[in-house]
Amino acid sequence: MAAPAIRTSKLTKDYGLGHGLFDLDLEVSPQEVFGYLGPNGSGKSTTIRCLMGTIRPTLGTAYIFGLDCQRDSVAVKHKVGYMPGDMPQFGSLRGKEVVAYLGGMRGGADPKIVRNIAERFDLDLGRRFREYSSGNKKKLGIVLAFMHRPELLILDEPTGGLDPLNQQEFYKLLRETRDAGATTFLSSHILSEVEHVCDRVGIIRSGRLVKVAELDEIHRIRLHRLEIEFAPSTEVPEAAIRAAAGVEDVVTADQSVTCTVKGTFDPLLRALNGATVTNLVSHERSLEEIFLTYYRPDEPADSMR
Amino acid sequence: MTAIRLALRLGRWGLVGFSGVAFIATFINAAGFYAIAGHTQAEREAFARSFAQIASQLTVLLPPATRLDTVGGYVQYRAYGSLAIVFAIWALTSAGGAARGDEERGIVEMVLATGLSRARATAARIVAFAFACFIAALAASLGFILGVISGNETFSIAPSIEAAVLLAALAMSCYSLVLLISQLLAPRFAMGLAGAVLLGLFLLNSLSRTFDSLATLRWLSPFRYYELSQPVSPGGTFDVQATLVLIGIAVVAGATATLAFTLRDLGAALFALRTAAGPPTYEGSSALIWRIPVIRGLYDRRVGLTLWAVGVSAIGILFVILTKAIVQPLLAIPGLAQYFAVFVHGAIYPSFLSYIWFGFAQLLLAGFAITQVARWSAEDTDGRLELILGNPVSRTQVLIERATVLAVGALIIAVVSGIAVGIETRNQAIDIDGLRLAEASLLLVPFSLVFAAVGALLAARLPRATVGILGVVTFGSYLMLQFGPIFKLPEWVQDLSAFKLYGQPLTNGVDWSGLVIMLAIVTAGFVASAVAMKRRDVGA
Repeated sequence: MAAPAIRTSKLTKDYGLGHGLFDLDLEVSPQEVFGYLGPNGSGKSTTIRCLMGTIRPTLGTAYIFGLDCQRDSVAVKHKVGYMPGDMPQFGSLRGKEVVAYLGGMRGGADPKIVRNIAERFDLDLGRRFREYSSGNKKKLGIVLAFMHRPELLILDEPTGGLDPLNQQEFYKLLRETRDAGATTFLSSHILSEVEHVCDRVGIIRSGRLVKVAELDEIHRIRLHRLEIEFAPSTEVPEAAIRAAAGVEDVVTADQSVTCTVKGTFDPLLRALNGATVTNLVSHERSLEEIFLTYYRPDEPADSMR
Repeated sequence: MTAIRLALRLGRWGLVGFSGVAFIATFINAAGFYAIAGHTQAEREAFARSFAQIASQLTVLLPPATRLDTVGGYVQYRAYGSLAIVFAIWALTSAGGAARGDEERGIVEMVLATGLSRARATAARIVAFAFACFIAALAASLGFILGVISGNETFSIAPSIEAAVLLAALAMSCYSLVLLISQLLAPRFAMGLAGAVLLGLFLLNSLSRTFDSLATLRWLSPFRYYELSQPVSPGGTFDVQATLVLIGIAVVAGATATLAFTLRDLGAALFALRTAAGPPTYEGSSALIWRIPVIRGLYDRRVGLTLWAVGVSAIGILFVILTKAIVQPLLAIPGLAQYFAVFVHGAIYPSFLSYIWFGFAQLLLAGFAITQVARWSAEDTDGRLELILGNPVSRTQVLIERATVLAVGALIIAVVSGIAVGIETRNQAIDIDGLRLAEASLLLVPFSLVFAAVGALLAARLPRATVGILGVVTFGSYLMLQFGPIFKLPEWVQDLSAFKLYGQPLTNGVDWSGLVIMLAIVTAGFVASAVAMKRRDVGA
């Protein structure tokens, strides 16, 4: 039986004062796209750094394809493509030189992949790093992570700074990579992002993994604030909206309704049946708001399991 | 006010470090004076006569000495002469960081986004540095006064305050000049040019003491106005007009820098060559050079290394020319020729060259090592090391590659400058042992590695404080050479100074025990840093 792509056991990095990562038990299967979701400062990057062997866990173990992330860190990195949350400064080096420099360190990059990704994201590798916008720096990070056909991609908030079109291109690239057999571990603090591409999602809060969910479970805990405007000739179906499953905090004013929707939109859409909607705006709520809605702030994180 | 506080916060380590250096420099010289000059007037006059001979040989670097029989005259020469160079270096690094370093890190953009005008932002940096360098200069005054008190003497406060004002004014003028130059060119060239300009202005003034042809130009140099005052030397003066000129340079250059900053785009140079936009490139560089460990590091540093090699060689050639210009007239004096024949066995040229050139070359190579260590430290703090370690390379490999790149870089500088000095000695008809010259040049490599090893250990433990601490270690190592014998420190303590371990290879040959100790320090330092590096967290 093949070893899990990622396996951690009681993985802990204690920075003191309750900061860090605690007792992380996690398993990611080969060829899975695993989303690692959590608010800022929840321990996502700490987990990734433990996996990459750049920080030493206080307790516990982490394995990638059966290799110890600390003891066998060099061997691990042969299999991994890594993209940090923030790209470091490469000053006056050109993009192509950064690719060659880091590609040289890992014994070579696949020029076809480099060209393919640079073209898809329209990243001019002839320009100097300091001339790159933050989005272009992210794109360079994508090239660096994918350029050697890694078996496992570890990506720390990879889409931050990318415009929506490039985000879509990135999701497409991830799906292609999964189809080619690679595993992806992707951190994010945006629920809708992981929904796009992930098979499973782990949610971390205050350094503790509070839930590992399949995609349909994630759909259930999603939370949106909706603003609906009805045509003047239409009667607002207020009672049906209030009665719809998952719809809360309904406020009506003339021909408009605002409400919060938990989970899927199906019940609400059924409630709107027959009414003429002239405008509908949906805002995804932040992870923090989702936590506050589903779980009281003083509730222990374990109760979310 | 907030902008000034932020600027002070960003430069706090510089303030602490240079205040410490300034304090130690004056205190140790003042206290040292009483240890070496004696306590009777006759003893001190005898000391002054002998020391004046040494000082006369160093006028190429330091202003002429006066009243060396007094603690004030001695400290004015020994401490305040050197502090001018130290404060100029501080101004260079601080202004370079303020003008371009913080801009690259996005700090300037954030500050301007608060609604602060560029003029006010620049003014805040200038005011903050003025405050910081005046505090550091006052630390020098305090060190001097405490040193004098240690010798049971008294000294008037006013001259030491004047010395602080003068030192701060010099630093401010250098700071504003660097700030101005930094606006003109792209960041990767700006610091190099600013450093070259400051060095040129320093040498213009100091060489004008030897070469009369330069005397007409020395008014261009801020260092000229600095040395017109000798406030702590008894009978010395505080030239108010010259100090005002220094402040004037600071104000005019600062205002021009501000204007240039308002005229240029953030992140760009005021004067930039427009390059035609070619078609985009979607391929990585195919140059083989990036795949070869060490070579890729050297290639990455190619511009800096070339500047170092050319700069050190040029200074080396200059020192050879100076050697000839200074020693030849001395040999023409029959009494002195006899003296040299007895005490330096006729090898006056190698002795002099060894003293002034290789003494200075050691400082330069220590500086080279510090700049490389600063880069390691920056790689750590800006996340580059974390990304590098995301590749299948071990931390030990990274450390070995860094050390090797530094060693090869130092070797290139040593060989190129050694060849340049060798050729110039022939041109000047100076008889010098080629093998000894090669040994002296090559010995600069393990010498620089000593600082690299200490720096590697610091970078592995305290990356954010590495450069400051390494600067203090280097300064301490230099002081150990100067004051170890005066304060009768144990031999093994003095042996910890890399400057002492280097010895005088041009005249005495290689000090093998010194070389072995240097290599032992290098090995121990790098092994310890490898262990520390393995155990530490990166990017946390």
